[in-house]
Amino acid sequence: MLIKILNLIILLFVPFIMIGIIKKTKAFWSGKKGSPILQPLYDFIRLIKKDFVISTTTSEVFQIAPIINIVAVIFAGLFVPLASGSAIINIPAGLIVFAYTLGLGKFLSLISAMDTGSSFEGMGASREACFTTIVEPAFFILIASIMALSGNYTFDSLSKIVSSAGSYGVLIIIFAIMILFIMLLVEGSRVPVDDPTTHLELTMIHEVMILDNSGVDLALFTWANSIKMMLISSLIAKLVIPETLGCGVTILCYLAVMFLISILIGTIESSMARLRMSHVLEFVFIMSSLALVVLSLVVSTFGGV
Amino acid sequence: MSIFFIGIIIYFIGSMIATFFSEKFKVAVLSLFSFVGAVFCLKPAISVLCTGNTISKVFDFNNIFGSVSFSIDALSAFFIIVITVMSLASVIFSKGYLAEYLKLGKNINFHLIFLSMLIASMLLVVTCQNAFAFLICWEIMSLSSFFLVIFENEKKEVLKVGIKYLVFMHVSVLFIMMTFALMSIHSGSFDFNSFKNVLQNNSHLANIVFCLAFIGFGTKAGFVPFHNWLPDAHPAAPSHVSAIMSGVMIKTGIYGILRTLTWIVTPSLLISYAVLIISVISGLYGVLYAISQHDLKRLLAYHSIENIGIIGIGIGVGMLGLAYNIPVIAVLGFAGGILHILNHSIFKELLFLSAGSVYVKTHTRNVEELGGLIKSMPKTALLFLIGSIAICGLPPFNGFVSEILIYFGMFKSLSIHHFVFITIMLFAIAGLALIGTMAILCFTKAFSVIFLGMPRSESTQKVNSDSENSMILPMSFLAVLTLVIGIFPQYAFSFVIKTVNVFTEVNPKIYSEPIELMQFISLYALAFILIVLALVLLKKIVCKKKIAFFETWGCGYNRANNKMQYTASSYASPFLSMLKPLFKKVFDIEKPKKLFPKNAHFSLHVDDIEEEYLIKPLVKYDEWFLSKFESIQSGNIQSYIKYGLGFLVIAIIGSLLIG
Repeated sequence: MLIKILNLIILLFVPFIMIGIIKKTKAFWSGKKGSPILQPLYDFIRLIKKDFVISTTTSEVFQIAPIINIVAVIFAGLFVPLASGSAIINIPAGLIVFAYTLGLGKFLSLISAMDTGSSFEGMGASREACFTTIVEPAFFILIASIMALSGNYTFDSLSKIVSSAGSYGVLIIIFAIMILFIMLLVEGSRVPVDDPTTHLELTMIHEVMILDNSGVDLALFTWANSIKMMLISSLIAKLVIPETLGCGVTILCYLAVMFLISILIGTIESSMARLRMSHVLEFVFIMSSLALVVLSLVVSTFGGV
Repeated sequence: MSIFFIGIIIYFIGSMIATFFSEKFKVAVLSLFSFVGAVFCLKPAISVLCTGNTISKVFDFNNIFGSVSFSIDALSAFFIIVITVMSLASVIFSKGYLAEYLKLGKNINFHLIFLSMLIASMLLVVTCQNAFAFLICWEIMSLSSFFLVIFENEKKEVLKVGIKYLVFMHVSVLFIMMTFALMSIHSGSFDFNSFKNVLQNNSHLANIVFCLAFIGFGTKAGFVPFHNWLPDAHPAAPSHVSAIMSGVMIKTGIYGILRTLTWIVTPSLLISYAVLIISVISGLYGVLYAISQHDLKRLLAYHSIENIGIIGIGIGVGMLGLAYNIPVIAVLGFAGGILHILNHSIFKELLFLSAGSVYVKTHTRNVEELGGLIKSMPKTALLFLIGSIAICGLPPFNGFVSEILIYFGMFKSLSIHHFVFITIMLFAIAGLALIGTMAILCFTKAFSVIFLGMPRSESTQKVNSDSENSMILPMSFLAVLTLVIGIFPQYAFSFVIKTVNVFTEVNPKIYSEPIELMQFISLYALAFILIVLALVLLKKIVCKKKIAFFETWGCGYNRANNKMQYTASSYASPFLSMLKPLFKKVFDIEKPKKLFPKNAHFSLHVDDIEEEYLIKPLVKYDEWFLSKFESIQSGNIQSYIKYGLGFLVIAIIGSLLIG
């Protein structure tokens, strides 16, 4: 029980720190001092206190969407193995509940963007919806293949790859990390898919969708987005951290993995620009092809035709 | 069982009596009779589901087709419940919808008669146990729905669509006839019960029969590649008819396939794979084309194809479970598939009725002309939103429940470590996930373009009130049903498990795990809804004074107008351009010219590739071939008598030779 509460606290607050670390890393590479690591949390609190402006074009949907989105993301997070190596709610077919709850959040955030009647936000929503259609099947192929391998239908199967796949195990893990990392960049809207700090609305994806949100709404949307990022990072952590470690060590390893991923994202953002919109699709398709590679590796362990 | 027939007779009589009333009360009278009829038909169905016994009644038509038996088993009972409840909602809705046409002086007597005839014939189809009588009921069903489709028969394109529908239905009936003929040759009887004994030991025959039945019934259901009538027939028909057709009638196709399965008992691997693969393709094809549509009802029709695909995936997984003799997989697959039949009929009917509600107010089905309707029609908007979330299979609504059962069955089946099997199953899982995300794309598009933003045309701007309550009421009923099944899936699961029992032995050991899952989803959905409600309330109270209103941020441009909004085409464009080869895009562009451009327009619509590259060439070839026989039709009676005589001679000689 205590561990579950700890997991929940990590689920809610570590995302702020991850964003803080990313910003710090970017500041480091550009030779600046940067804002404190907890700055995203301060921003969040400040935004919540603020008044907010709502477009006259919008309807109730616009005001309810941020809430449903954040609740959906947090609920989805309950099914992902977090710091202690196991999910807060561990059920078979947790993958489906996870993915479809996130889907509900996405549905609401898409229609809330369209609610403003702004062409910019429509553009963002359209792009986001398009990328999701590529990301999701690849993610399902990856996880389902790994489940087939270990015969376990929860996310626990992620840490059983080596024991069940033998010599292919390492390969599958490497590919799986690559797939999840691309998914992290897409869903978290980071460079090279999307640039959260850009100033040109035409090139944005996620940021442009929340162009009209302010105050609490904006705070909730950015929070939900960073939680989503951490959830996918947690899956990567589950892949690399061995199951046999003790509880304390596992938590430390988990935090270390989160730290490393944040630094990696920050470094990528400092070292390259975002891709041209037409190339983004190609980049995201890398994920699908890698997922097919994993599928064929897994299937080949079951013998030939 | 005789109660059931009283119910059917009430349906028939109701429509006759309704015609004698004045225009205002016709539909109300029919609704009343439909309600009574539904109650009569529901009673035996529910008692069958509770007790698990099959009830039947035999009619003796000595000279014509011998004894014809009608019976209600768990499978029939399930379909009876779906048919009666769903069509009742549509009939009640039709009052408000037809009021518009009554104002124009349209005669609706025949429409009402065919409406109740369709409902009654569907009820007979799912209970009939004799091949001959089955075909007759099936034909009544097809014909009455044909007359319902051509309600607006003064329009030329409606008639054209109607004839296309009629042709498709008769091709389908041809295959069903072949199925029955083949069966009765081998069993020596038209009775369904005798079919079972023949097919059980003859797997080769079973494969052939199943393929024929799948083509025949699959055409009705709308599996790709036999789906082509669906996207044309639905936009042409009035909304409440589309709702019955898409929500209920196409399910009789599924019923046919399931009924054929009960004769086969253990399907071979080959046909199980075939069903699974065709279903995944149907699902993807349906949703793909749905995304490209601007006609709301056409979009919904393509979604019917998608959902038939999902139902088929469930049935396919169940069949694989039977073929491999692993009961858990069979139970999960069939339970998911059959529950999705119910779920789809609920939310699809809800969506079609909402589309009708929008059509009554705006007189257009083109989503590009709508927009901002949530302000003038808040109830319809909310109901459409509930339907959209449910059809995407998202929690906490009912679509999620059936999809998770199917997924769970698929995951369980990954324990079959067979190369081909695993490969197909992994692709099927990814396919189902892809269907889900594409549905999200499609319905975020549909909902936001119709109801959100600003009105895109003047007629939409003029809408100032929501539809009348007699239309909102049945829709709300359906919306509540989606939510109830979403929140209490364990009861829905135990409701369908009786029907699943027809296909595979269900023992408590097998369904304890899915029931646990369902109970968990129940808690999960409740917790989710409560937390969201609490937070929304909290936000309302805390932020009441903090809100200021201003126009949408136009990135510095402050003359934004409704023409600058994102349209349905532009919303779907990045996705569609990614899959270019799968569509035939037809552009209609007039570019602005000169210094002061006057006329300019752009429109884009997407044609079905099957229609373009398969049906059209086929029809062309057919016309060419048949034109060779034109000379036979000379028009004078003498030569026709000659043909008749010739035929008689050939028939006599032939029978002599064979005899």
